[in-house]
Amino acid sequence: MNFVTPDFMPAMPEIFLLSMVCVIMIIDLFLKDESRGATYVLSLIALIATAFLSFSNFSTESITTFNGSFILDPMATILKIAICIIVVGVFIYAKDYLKDRNMYKGEYFTLGLFGVLGMMVMVSAGNFLTVYLGLELLSLSMYAMIAMQRDSIVASEAAMKYFILGAIASGILLYGMSMVYGVTGSLDLATINKAVSGADRVVMSFGLVFIILGVAFKLGAVPFHMWMPDVYHGSPTSVTLYIASAPKIAAFAMMYRLLVDGLAGMQADWQMILIILSVLSMVFGNIVAIAQTNIKRMLAYSTISHVGFIIMGVVAGTQAGYGAAMFYAIVYAIMSVAGFGMIILLSRAGFEAENIEDFRGLNQRSPWFAFVMMAIMFSMAGVPPFLGFWAKIAVLQEAINSGFLWLAIVGVMASVIGAFYYLRVIKAVYFDKPTDETPIQASMDIRLTLSLNGMAILAFGLYPTALITLCISAFA
Amino acid sequence: METIVFYVFSAFMILSALMVITVHNPVRAAFFLVLTFFSSAAVWLLLEAEFLAIILIIVYVGAVMVLFLFVVMMLDVNLAELKKGFVKNLPLAVIVALAMFAMIFMVVGGEQFGVQNFAVPERHAADYSNVSALGQLLYTEYVYSFEIAAVILLVGIVAAISLTLRRRPNTRHQKVEDQVAVKGADRLRVVKVESQPRKHTIDNAEVKK
Amino acid sequence: MLTLTHFLVLGAILFSISLAGVFINRKNVIILLMCVELMLLAVNTNFIAFSHFLGDTAGQVFVFFILTVAAAEAAIGLAILVVLFRNKRTINVEELDTLKG
Repeated sequence: MNFVTPDFMPAMPEIFLLSMVCVIMIIDLFLKDESRGATYVLSLIALIATAFLSFSNFSTESITTFNGSFILDPMATILKIAICIIVVGVFIYAKDYLKDRNMYKGEYFTLGLFGVLGMMVMVSAGNFLTVYLGLELLSLSMYAMIAMQRDSIVASEAAMKYFILGAIASGILLYGMSMVYGVTGSLDLATINKAVSGADRVVMSFGLVFIILGVAFKLGAVPFHMWMPDVYHGSPTSVTLYIASAPKIAAFAMMYRLLVDGLAGMQADWQMILIILSVLSMVFGNIVAIAQTNIKRMLAYSTISHVGFIIMGVVAGTQAGYGAAMFYAIVYAIMSVAGFGMIILLSRAGFEAENIEDFRGLNQRSPWFAFVMMAIMFSMAGVPPFLGFWAKIAVLQEAINSGFLWLAIVGVMASVIGAFYYLRVIKAVYFDKPTDETPIQASMDIRLTLSLNGMAILAFGLYPTALITLCISAFA
Repeated sequence: METIVFYVFSAFMILSALMVITVHNPVRAAFFLVLTFFSSAAVWLLLEAEFLAIILIIVYVGAVMVLFLFVVMMLDVNLAELKKGFVKNLPLAVIVALAMFAMIFMVVGGEQFGVQNFAVPERHAADYSNVSALGQLLYTEYVYSFEIAAVILLVGIVAAISLTLRRRPNTRHQKVEDQVAVKGADRLRVVKVESQPRKHTIDNAEVKK
Repeated sequence: MLTLTHFLVLGAILFSISLAGVFINRKNVIILLMCVELMLLAVNTNFIAFSHFLGDTAGQVFVFFILTVAAAEAAIGLAILVVLFRNKRTINVEELDTLKG
């Protein structure tokens, strides 16, 4: 047996992150509750250093190592950096929320970092095995993070629901993978891609349907969205923040790896299914969001509609289309983290700003954060010149270029419907009388990060070209 | 011969799987699940996956199912309440299962998986070791996945402990360091007692003080 | 003579049974978890059958990892179940209605 030692360098960020998590976990064991801040600071350092390592690892070509289990291409590098930066934001927002609710434990950070590791594995997965393992690493960390608020009934219910549905979805995904393995004889995505043309059509489509079902569940596309509103609502906001942002980027990467890297030969088949998912998600998500009074549920349905747009970019089936979908996924994560950050900003010990009413008259309490909230909502609705507008335009343009004009029209109509409920929040912020007069109590680091986050939405919106070009060049 | 073994164990497997989903008592369901695992281990042996068959029994029956049983026994489950709605869901479940089976059967039951495409492979020689074949793959080609699996188990440990470990304020812990550091004077105090004539009215409390 | 089809049909039956179980036992979380284990068993049987008939050990490696992950998953699932039971005194999923969807 001739075995060549694999090249470890491409996986350096992952190896570094794993070592750091282990170190943080051990240090955390010896910390008293008062000095828990050390865990928090170390986690942030670990994430920033991982992002930096990923950046220094950038290569324009696609490198495979570990016998094809690991792929490092421009897409993987960009997404890894994005995931790390977004989770830095998540941790900063979550810190005070956790402190106020007696949940400030080291496990939130260690499990969060393990989740990041899982996402990074998914992003650069080269075979079915690593896709599955990365996915499970992420999901298991998330289930545990939700249930961490042990005395909350809703949190444990949300965790249980998510766990059961997630486990069934993984089972179905695996059944699909076993079928594809059977007819192509390989687990390696590149080898499968070569073998698709010679494989049995019926079995391949069967496996494909099951695989897409699993991916759609993880993304939260209609009709596999049932878990999203409940989980977003039931989880503590500090965890919702995490679940709602970076994992969607990883889910996009998983969809790309499985469908494009692995099953590009079945493009005509998966385009059909994805179109259905995309249309249903955009329309259903936006319509149901209107009826919500709880802002976490509203953002959950809004996520569903955003997922529809991400899928639309993949439907386009061109390199530029994937670039647009990736741009959309990153933009979505930035907006989502800011949106839930606003909820945390207005919450304080013993009070959750969960309802839209809690945002009433924010302008009188803090004009600056009212403006930030407006930027976030306008961006989600797709109003120029905010970032979300460019993401929608990029995806719609690629859909039209690939001849899916009607799909683009459905998308535009859905966003017009969607604009209604975003505007309702802005109306509450600017034109309603405040029901809650207490001044905002959030600490300086949250205020600063949230302001930066809001500014990013505006600044990237004014100068979008750099980010779009970067995303599209990742696939060229 | 092999065909008979296959059919016998498959029959056991399917029947016990049906029992798992239909009995109401979770303890019984767990035992039927154990039977399902045993019979599928036998089927896996027919497929020359000796290592996995043994792992299935050691890890699954030995550890995971025992964990299930522990939890079932620990929770005081109200069985009568869980029986409701069973009959209501049954027709739907049967329809879903039959439809799913019909669909998969159309895919896998046809010629594409017949003998002409997938010839029955030769049996391995007697000195073939399934364990070393798997081990060589695990520690070379799939070493990356192997490490991630280790991380997943670590997450399992961290999550399970942090979710279920409770420190009650009134639990009594053994403080080993205090026990070791204890001195004679901490435990025994020599008290000088004045000798007194025998009386029944000695105040014990005063002596102890 | 045992062909690949035999084993795949066995896997299909198990998979269908586990799906039926999910529908029947919507109330009982413990049995739902067992149905998930059954589903993974069906997948594993499929992988091992393919691996044997393709003469490719990679399928068995996949099963090895599925078993590992399933063990971790069961531990976390049961931990969440214990937390839930401590809060609600029931494992009835349909009573989990604090969250209205």
